[in-house]
Order: sequence, then structure tokens, then C-alpha cells
Amino acid sequence: MKFWHKVLLIVLIIFIATLDISIFTIMQKNWALNLSWEIERASSEQALIANNIYENLNSVRSRGSMLNEDVYYDVVRSYDNYYSKQGIALEMWKDNRRVFPRSGEMDSAMPAFTSRSIERNGNHIIQIAKYLPSPDDDLLLLYERNINSLFAVQQDLNHFFVIINLAMGLCLMVLLYCAIRHLTKPLLMLSETTKQIADGNYVKRVALKSKDEFGELADNFNRMAEAVERHVTELLHMAEEKQRLADNLAHELRTPLTGMKGFADYLMTANCNEEERLIAAGYIQSETLRLNQLANKLLEISDLKHESCPLKPVSIEHLFDAVTNIEEPQLRLANQTLITNRSVSAVMGDFDLLVSFLVNCIDNAIHASGENDTIVLSAYEENHTAVLEVRDEGCGMSMEQTKNAFEAFYRSDKSRSREHGGAGLGLSLCKHIAESLDAKLNLYSKMNEGTKIQIILQLSNNFTVTP
Amino acid sequence: MAHLLVVEDEKAISDLITMNLKLIGHSFRKAFNGKDALEFLNNERFDLILLDIMLPELDGFQIMQQKRDLPAPVILITAKDSLTDRIKGFELGADDYIIKPFETLELLARINVVLRRNDNGNASFVLGDVEVRIEERQVFRHNELVEMTTREFELLEVLIQNRNIALSREKLLEKAWGYDYQGESRTVDVHILKLRKKLGWEDKIKTVYKMGYRLEVLP
Repeated sequence: MKFWHKVLLIVLIIFIATLDISIFTIMQKNWALNLSWEIERASSEQALIANNIYENLNSVRSRGSMLNEDVYYDVVRSYDNYYSKQGIALEMWKDNRRVFPRSGEMDSAMPAFTSRSIERNGNHIIQIAKYLPSPDDDLLLLYERNINSLFAVQQDLNHFFVIINLAMGLCLMVLLYCAIRHLTKPLLMLSETTKQIADGNYVKRVALKSKDEFGELADNFNRMAEAVERHVTELLHMAEEKQRLADNLAHELRTPLTGMKGFADYLMTANCNEEERLIAAGYIQSETLRLNQLANKLLEISDLKHESCPLKPVSIEHLFDAVTNIEEPQLRLANQTLITNRSVSAVMGDFDLLVSFLVNCIDNAIHASGENDTIVLSAYEENHTAVLEVRDEGCGMSMEQTKNAFEAFYRSDKSRSREHGGAGLGLSLCKHIAESLDAKLNLYSKMNEGTKIQIILQLSNNFTVTP
Repeated sequence: MAHLLVVEDEKAISDLITMNLKLIGHSFRKAFNGKDALEFLNNERFDLILLDIMLPELDGFQIMQQKRDLPAPVILITAKDSLTDRIKGFELGADDYIIKPFETLELLARINVVLRRNDNGNASFVLGDVEVRIEERQVFRHNELVEMTTREFELLEVLIQNRNIALSREKLLEKAWGYDYQGESRTVDVHILKLRKKLGWEDKIKTVYKMGYRLEVLP
């Protein structure tokens, strides 16, 4: 049973029951009042008639005539004749005997009540039985009055009541239906939207602008749907990234493995000379090194992904010394110069991570630059933050390449960076380092003009630094 | 022997392919990018082109599109194993398709098939006083026909195709007898013995310790 069915039914039942009970009670009261009024009227009329009869009997007595049953009969008959037109019948009893009327069926007993309402032969009758005042107090006058009209009116009322009841019930049902349907419409909308979201349409929202509880519910619901959507998209992105990473990794593993397997086969089976044997073995070695490098980088990234690094003061002097030492052989080989500028003495960060960051950036710069080019490594203050910057005047990257540069295994120039043994993980690693240091990372690059990469760190005011 | 153009940007893979080609006795030209490949194609005649799809500057598909009337059959080499790529390759006129990582023997077999398909049937292999006419399935020694069973000829063909490369007994069984052959590796030894005797190749078909057999041909 639906909610609106229940509401409709309950309201209808309560309303009709209350209405009926109250109307019924009122009618009951009205009936009782009418009846008692009718009895009162009958009673006073009876008293009036009884008084008149008494007066008549008195005057007969005062004339000295004897009072006998014939006299009684005549007197009562004259009144009965007169009142019968008004639907009133009279009876006179004396000493347990009916004096008037004499004809007709004889009641066995004298009426023993003073007033009552009975039904006889389908007629409703009020009977009042009272003795005449003394000295005629042995005479009992029974007054009967037909009250069929009263009952007819009551019957009419009852019919009217039933019809009104039915009509009102129908009317109420229609009105209630409209009202409840209107009131529960938001519920329907909510239910519809929930269904759609459950079916995977996470962008669906409830379009409900009201200020009642439903409006509140809809607002909260929309907030929930937003959170769900955000999480789902996040998960989707993560899954996509993972998939892409796995795809790229598989591809990245395939190439060196093809070489290693091929050259191993060659060594085992080929009829070759010493020189060729050395070339093959050399390739196996270099491809192994490449795989090893790849594994190390991946491990580094995976380590970084799990922990946020505590920040300590790092001396720029020590940092730059360490980086320069590492890069020196490569720079000499490429015939390039590294210039360092530092105008801040310390930053908040992690020494090892920053070394790794700068070495990766400078490696990229070396690969991008040509012979006799200069690479600038600098540390300076800007807007109360410390900026570490690596700038080169090498070949640069296009907008598209810059956008993808931080993605794992992305290479701006496939063949060139492979020559240097890279797997396209350098900048991806840098991004993760920046994330674990809560630092901002900027990359500016222009085709054929050079590249500039910056990491924005907090300045350190603590000068008692340890490397 | 055939003259091949190897277009592959990965130096290791390029060397791997060419070193194996050298064993068979093919001559080759190496190109590391699309531009060089086009230049070689314009200036030289090749019997076969081994073409990598992912190349710097000009990729393999672009090369094929630019040289619609390629003068030589093409085998595509790629790490991308996608159906659309394969279909595109074939639509552009590639003769075969091989996916990295590949087995050297498989590459050589495919090269052989494509070369033979495009050959005019005069392929014969001469070593010393022996001439093997592959198409006609005939072997001559001192210009005299040598009687051979089908199995022996097929074994000989496999050895010639993979000359200078050692083949294990299992590999030989698989190639000359077929995958479903349930024979022992002893069968190979017996047939090798017969071949050596019939052709006088006792010193040409070498037994390689722990490996199998190798037909040695000086380049």
C-alpha cells in the first residue's frame, strides 16, 4: 500500500466517523427534545381537557343531577368528537371499567401509566393518562395523540443525512486525493531521481524548490548525490589512471624485454664472431640497467604516494652542493654549464626529496639542452615564499606536451629521451615529491625557447640547519 | 640474397633485427626515423621493408600513405596490438604484421614467407657443391639429383632458412614435422645424419653443445 493511499484512507475514515458521530448525536438529542416537547404538549392538552370535563361535571352536579355513566359518556363524547379532527382520541375509565368509548374492543386493564409513547397498527401514538381532580378523582382520562408526522420528519432527516453523508464522503475523497497527490509529489520526484542515480546516472539532481521538509530533504539529497558523484568520478579517474599506468608500464617493459630476450637467443644460437657477441651482451646489460632504473623510479613514486613528509629546515647551500656533485659528470659529458643563484639560505622541506626533485629537473634540462648551453638553478624569495627554480634554454615543449608532462610514462619526445635511458617518470616523480611536501609546482615551457620549472616552498627562519 | 630496409627507432631492436639478418646473409639499411626511411626509399631498391609504426617525426602509417606505390613488400613491427591498427596496416598494403615482443625465429620465418611470395621462383641456395632449389624441391650435388624424402627436404629447408642459427631438436621437430608430431628428438638426429651423408655436409651441419644443430655458412 502506497503512502498516499494510507493517508487518504486514514483521513477519510477519521473524518467521516467524526462527522457521522457528531451528526448522529445531534439528531438523537433533537429527537429526544422533540418527543419530550410533544409529550409536554399532550400533557397540558390532556390537563386542559380534563379540566373542562371536570367543569362540565361540576355544573351538572350543581344543577342537582345525578352523575352516572351515561353522563360521563356524553360529556367525553362531545370532547372526543371535537378533538378527533386534530388526531386526538379520548378514553374515560372508572373503577377499572371503560366508560368511553363503550364500543370496540375492550381493554382488559385500566392504563397504569401517566404518559407513554407506543406504536399501534403502524401508528405512533402518545398516551397520557391522568385522574380528574376531586371529587371526580375516580375518573381516569386517557388522552391519545397521533405523532406520525413527527416520525415522518425524523425519517426524512435520516434519509437526508445518509445522502449528505455519501455526497460529502465522495467530495472529500476527491479533494483529499488532489491535496495528497499534490503534497506527495516531491516524494515521487525524489523516488524517481533516486532510481535514476541507482541506475548509474550520477549527474541527476532533484529539481525541487520548496521551503518545507521536502525541500530540505531534496537539498540534503542533492548534496549527497553530489558527494557520491564526486567520489565516483574520483574513483573512475583513479581507476583510469591506474589502467593507463599499467598499460604504459607493460609497454615500457616490453621493449627492453624484447631486446634482452632477442640478444640472449642470439648469443645462444648464432654463429657469430667475438665483436658481435660483445655487442649482444652489451645490449643485454644496458637493457637490464634500464629496467632497473625504471623499477627504482617506480618504487620511489610508490613510496611517496603513501606518506606525507614532515617538513624540516633545509639549507640551500648544502642542497645545491649535493645536486651539483651528482650532476657534474653528466654536465661535463654534455658539455653544459650549471649556474647556481641563491638569495635565501633555507627552506622548509626534506633534504633527500628536494635533491631527488632537483636532480630529476636538471636531468631533464640537460637532455633538452644542446651543447654549450647553460642551465640555471636558483633559489629566491617571492611573496613570502621560497622558490626553487631550474631553467634551461633547450628545445622546450608545446602546450599539449606541457599539459601531459606530469603524467607517468609521458615523453615529450619519445626517441630522444629513450636515448638517455629515461622511462618518462621523472616529472611524474617530481609531482609526487611536491605533493608529499605540500608544495606548489609550476611548469612553464615554450617551443624552442626553453623550460622553467619551479617548486614553491615555505621560507625557513631557522638558521641552525642540518643537512 | 635480399636487400632489406629496417625502419626502427629503438636502437637495440634495430640492431637485434639487423644482426640476425646478417646471419642469414641478407644485406640491409637502417633508418631510425621516418624522414630517413623515405629518403632511402627514394634512392635505393629494397626487396623488403621492416617498418615500425611508432616513429619520431613521421610514423609508419604516414610513410605508407606517402609512398602509396611502395616498391617492396612491407612487414609492420609494432608494440601496439590493436585490431584497428592491424586493419589499417593491411589496408595500406602491408604484407604482414608482427607484434613486439617477437621471437627472432618467427620474424625470420615471416621475412622468408614474404620474400618467397614476392620472388619469381628462381630461389636457390648454393653451398659448396650442393644446390638446393626450394621452389622445385630438388637438391643437386655435383649437378646430379639427390634422392630425398619429404621429411629430409623439409628439415633441410628449415636449416637453410635459419642458417647460422642453432635450432634445438624440439624446434626442428616443430618446424619440419609439425606441431602435432609426437616423435622423439632421436628422430631428428637420425635425419640429420642422413642429410650430412647425402650432401657431404658433415662439417657444415654442426652439432651445438646442449642446443641442437646449426647450418654454418660463411658470410
